Amino acid sequence: MIPLQVIWAGVSQRHANANSLVAIIPIAIAALPIYYFLQGRPQVDFHFALFLIIGSVAGVYTGARLLRYVPDRELTLAVAAVMLVVGLKEVIAP
Amino acid sequence: MSWGDALAVLGGLVAGLLSGLIGIGGGSAFVPIMTVGFRFNQALAQGTSLAAIVPTALVGGITHIREGNVLLGPALWMGGGGLAGAILGALLAIHIPGLILARVWGAFLLLTAFRLAQEARSKARAAKSGRPS
Repeated sequence: MIPLQVIWAGVSQRHANANSLVAIIPIAIAALPIYYFLQGRPQVDFHFALFLIIGSVAGVYTGARLLRYVPDRELTLAVAAVMLVVGLKEVIAP
Repeated sequence: MSWGDALAVLGGLVAGLLSGLIGIGGGSAFVPIMTVGFRFNQALAQGTSLAAIVPTALVGGITHIREGNVLLGPALWMGGGGLAGAILGALLAIHIPGLILARVWGAFLLLTAFRLAQEARSKARAAKSGRPS
């Protein structure tokens, strides 16, 4: 969603990043029960998720507050860098 | 609380920070944390990452709205469109082997990284020539 906005719609990186996080809310809420109920056994580890959430909620709040201080070009490069690293990992050692 | 739990909190903190700054929803970071760091299989990692994304995106989304970072109209349209796509995608993902799923996802990310790097370069050029970007 972020590249769609930045590359084709010309939205600034800051708005694109924030928009996509808001757009993920309904998507994640809808997709969760599909993963949970339509599998042979539930494919969600709620114990692990709980501890992940403790960290991620603190992290996401800090990140969202810091966003306005990061220049747009650097933000685009950071998004590209994260996608490069995760993409390489998934292709080479999925 | 075990060492594993403490590492999950630390991993969540890093993924959350990234998702607040970069907006990748944590998914792109949560999943490798679980598959690489904790040896989860792809489906379990994706399901668990979804569970973690809901509260993360809620807190991040609300903070972003309060910070004035969000164009609410487009965000809601994307949420609606993405919702339809996600339901289809999740139903499909169940029937596709994890290895193929991960590779296709990785290839898509690499392509996108390349396009964004081009975009950053053109932004830099625009800035140099004095045009407002």
